[in-house]
Amino acid sequence: MSPPWGSWAAFMKNDARTRSARRLKRWTSRSIGSRFQHRIFYALIRAGGIHLAYPLLYAVVFYYMTCRPSIRQKTAFYLEKRFPHKNAAERFADSCRISMTLGKVLIERAKAGIRGPETLQLSFPAKGRLFRLLEENRGLILMNAHVGGWQVILPALPSLGRPVKMLIERDAYDVDLHYYEHARRPRPFAAIDPRGFLGGSLEMMGALERGEILCVMGDRVFGSDKNVIHVPFLGKKAVFPFSAFKIASVSGAPVAVFFSHRIGPDRYGIEIPDVIRVPAGLGRSPRAFGPYVHRFVAALDAYTREHPYQFFNFYDMWAES
Amino acid sequence: MHTIPMDIQTKLKTIIVEELNFEDLTPAEIPDDIPLFGDGLGLDSLDAVELVVQIQKYFGVQIKNMEEGRTAFQSVNALAAFIAERLPE
Repeated sequence: MSPPWGSWAAFMKNDARTRSARRLKRWTSRSIGSRFQHRIFYALIRAGGIHLAYPLLYAVVFYYMTCRPSIRQKTAFYLEKRFPHKNAAERFADSCRISMTLGKVLIERAKAGIRGPETLQLSFPAKGRLFRLLEENRGLILMNAHVGGWQVILPALPSLGRPVKMLIERDAYDVDLHYYEHARRPRPFAAIDPRGFLGGSLEMMGALERGEILCVMGDRVFGSDKNVIHVPFLGKKAVFPFSAFKIASVSGAPVAVFFSHRIGPDRYGIEIPDVIRVPAGLGRSPRAFGPYVHRFVAALDAYTREHPYQFFNFYDMWAES
Repeated sequence: MHTIPMDIQTKLKTIIVEELNFEDLTPAEIPDDIPLFGDGLGLDSLDAVELVVQIQKYFGVQIKNMEEGRTAFQSVNALAAFIAERLPE
């Protein structure tokens, strides 16, 4: 018979695992607004464009920031690390600012869907660099993050001239629409579901072998993916996936860090701060991929210094450490 | 129907143990029919990527897409049969 402290220790261990799993699962792609609330915004955009939708956005953000502290808390995970010395009032103002910026991005995404993506002004000076990478015919991994207008810049992808696959997990109850869903436009990418067979890894490998483009998020761990590494980010260790770097090592595809930022209403910039080459034969150990994850995180760190209010990864990526 | 050469099964088990870092397992301890992923041997998506590479390296056999992978990756037996059917002459 096991001693009572043994079962207590096992319970505590399991409980800690459950809490860790819960933290990782806290994120969902599901919008905090209802379908009806989204439709109000869409109707305002149809009637008068973004400038009719912005005033309602101010009211909605004020409501969520003052009456729904749990929503405000989601911005605090990041803001506490990015601005550790700010007081409560300044942090409240920052939460409002970051929420407002995200709201504007979502409104402009909806406008691109309703009135056409040509209403967007996308500045993409590094496009030539991507063309040169594609000419290597090893495929190309675009490693994105939840920053700037990551959903708004999707119309830029077809201009790269290769089929695009995107690793994307959508909640079955998602009510907010991607831009192409508003007017039933062709989707600019084919989705790979990370919840599919073997996490979609074989589909990703196949796409790269055909010289296609694979878009992944470098700052989000999907579901129960165990292939993660803890890397310092904004002064504290945070959890990042390394699967894409493993796939890059096996396929020989370069990894282009692919960020965007909002310049102003309907105006976005796309930048390639780094291109990461991962050598073959690194094996299976997470430690082998550490240097490459570090480079991505360094680019993300620099981004948050340049665009501090355009980081929209609202889950506690530091909690696991 | 192809018979599955024993040496393919043995080599596969050795690859699984050595290349996928199964420190507490010997090749002989891996049952032929245990599922490779999920509740069986517990391999994950990156193990699958590594297996694809190793199979190509040692046997010269490619697993090109998800449909092939779904068939091949069911067990050591299934994977060995998949390789036996496609071994270069």
